[in-house]
Amino acid sequence: MAGNFWASSHYQQWVIDRQDLCRERQHDMKHLTEEEYQKVMILFANVIQALGEHLKFRQQVIATATVYFKRFYARNSLKCIDPWLMAPTCVFLASKVEEYGVLSNNRLITTCQNIVKNKFGHAFSGEYPYRIQHVMECEFYLLEMMDCCLIMYHPYRPLTKFCADIGSEMELLPVAWRMINDSLRTDIPLLYPPYLIALACLHLASIVKQKDIKTWCAELSVDNDKVMEITKTMVSLYEMWKIYDEKKEIQPILTKMPKPSPSRPPSETPTMQDANSQQQQQQQNQQLPSGGV
Amino acid sequence: MQKYEKLEKIGEGTYGTVFKAKNRETLEIVALKRVRLDDDDEGVPSSALREICLLKELKHKNVVRLHDVVHSERKLTLVFEYCDQDLKKYFDACNGEIDADVVKSLMCQLLRGIAFCHSNNVLHRDLKPQNLLINKNGELKLADFGLARAFGFPVRFYSAEVVTLWYRPPDVLFGAKMYSTSIDMWSAGCIFAELANAGRPLFPGNDDDDQLKRIFKLLGTPTEDSWPSLTQLPNYRPFPMYHVNTTWQQVVPKLNSKGRDLLQKLLVCYPPDRLSAEDSLQHPYFGDSSPGPK
Ligand SMILES: Nc1ncnc2c1ncn2[C@@H]1O[C@H](COP(=O)(O)OP(=O)(O)OP(=O)(O)O)[C@@H](O)[C@H]1O
Ligand SMILES: [Mg+2]
Repeated sequence: MAGNFWASSHYQQWVIDRQDLCRERQHDMKHLTEEEYQKVMILFANVIQALGEHLKFRQQVIATATVYFKRFYARNSLKCIDPWLMAPTCVFLASKVEEYGVLSNNRLITTCQNIVKNKFGHAFSGEYPYRIQHVMECEFYLLEMMDCCLIMYHPYRPLTKFCADIGSEMELLPVAWRMINDSLRTDIPLLYPPYLIALACLHLASIVKQKDIKTWCAELSVDNDKVMEITKTMVSLYEMWKIYDEKKEIQPILTKMPKPSPSRPPSETPTMQDANSQQQQQQQNQQLPSGGV
Repeated sequence: MQKYEKLEKIGEGTYGTVFKAKNRETLEIVALKRVRLDDDDEGVPSSALREICLLKELKHKNVVRLHDVVHSERKLTLVFEYCDQDLKKYFDACNGEIDADVVKSLMCQLLRGIAFCHSNNVLHRDLKPQNLLINKNGELKLADFGLARAFGFPVRFYSAEVVTLWYRPPDVLFGAKMYSTSIDMWSAGCIFAELANAGRPLFPGNDDDDQLKRIFKLLGTPTEDSWPSLTQLPNYRPFPMYHVNTTWQQVVPKLNSKGRDLLQKLLVCYPPDRLSAEDSLQHPYFGDSSPGPK
């Protein structure tokens, strides 16, 4: 869907204020530092990326799944639903929404089991515990939590347009494209409209490639402060990556991470109720434009 | 679901039942479409998901409004604005008479709804009278987006099983998998003729072959000249070269000449030559009297 972004549910309901985001995260911040929280998010973005690649999904589907994941935890504590269950659920939902063929359930769970074992052994020990029934149940909550806003605008399309406009499809496009993928490891997709993310990545790419696009940029009338904010966030992500070794560092962070109580099946966990009540609160705070009911 | 009082059943859909209901607080009449979440292996059915996520974005006078989605235990309920009837029922009740102005107004609204969807990169893919709703004020709304899809980024395969047979274009009947907005324009043409004939379907085929024969008998059998790469389509098979011996005047006797011209420009076998919704709205047929504000 490339309709009118300004009239979209993405813009109207899911471009979140940074302060809001911090407020919603307060609970998790009692257990994790800001940086540790980001590392958890990076881990699961990697899990979703690996799942998507194994299932041969387009980057668009993977990006959609990753942002679903972020949307859920932007409004809920990590203890509401185990992120190891939420990650495949987001992939499951995104593949249906993007109509990327039929994903057989066996394949989703088997892929999960394999990936957890072969690629994320440093973060997960033991058998992958979830079955497709858990995924479907989780899908239901995810859908409700997102208020059924499933159509997503990604920065890839505006980026492609900008690059064509500059005439730099060969040089800048692939570099900036990868940076957009990297931005999925941050809060950026929750905080800014996609065309600004595309501009920031383009800006960074032009620095990397030492290509002057200032004259082109000058002709745009955009919120430069926002572009600079995004650029800064990207730069600090790269700074962190230089010294971060997930394989060594993630385990103690996951141990500290707040978790759902494991003794009950997901359907009866009171933490699901938590998710519900938070959702209701959110709905009260934010009247939908279509209201009326 | 306490909020709504169910009044009566109005339809049976593929993934659930449609009820007329009243909002107990506002007394507003709505239509409820219940989605069953069977313990099958799909989770929320993809047709329901498509309908929900597309209608969440599409807000237009000629597209049925999705007010809300209610989650309860293992059920989803879609809450729609209520319309009095669908176009099929309207036909059944019209006694073979529809005023020319009404035909024009309904067609214009159909095209506006389609143009809006297409400008948002959404294909409906299942336009037919049962999926067009009409309210008391004569407003027409596109409904049932269960087969609709968003397009834009290159998509390799579209399912070939779309559009109810009678409204299915020849390219899809030949198994074309890459189609675009033109798929809806063919259906719009079929519905236009049906409106003009007060509910007599234009191509009521019994199966794929019969459907194609009916189309080619009216429009002439296409050839590689009129339709480049025709023979490359996945399910292409040769058909007899039919002589066209029906005039458009015979097909839609009550439609004026401008209307017949528009109809011919929609019912074109070669998909790229079909008129778009936006262009159809500029057609002189709508010029001579204003069919209402946009
Ligand atoms: N908002 C509404 N107001 C009035 N009637 C409605 C409304 N929505 C649906 N209906 C009635 O219910 C019928 C079925 O609804 P709909 O087409 O949305 O379901 P469906 O599952 O797609 O069914 P099918 O696949 O058989 O077309 C419609 O043909 C129409 O008669
Ligand atoms: Mg229907």
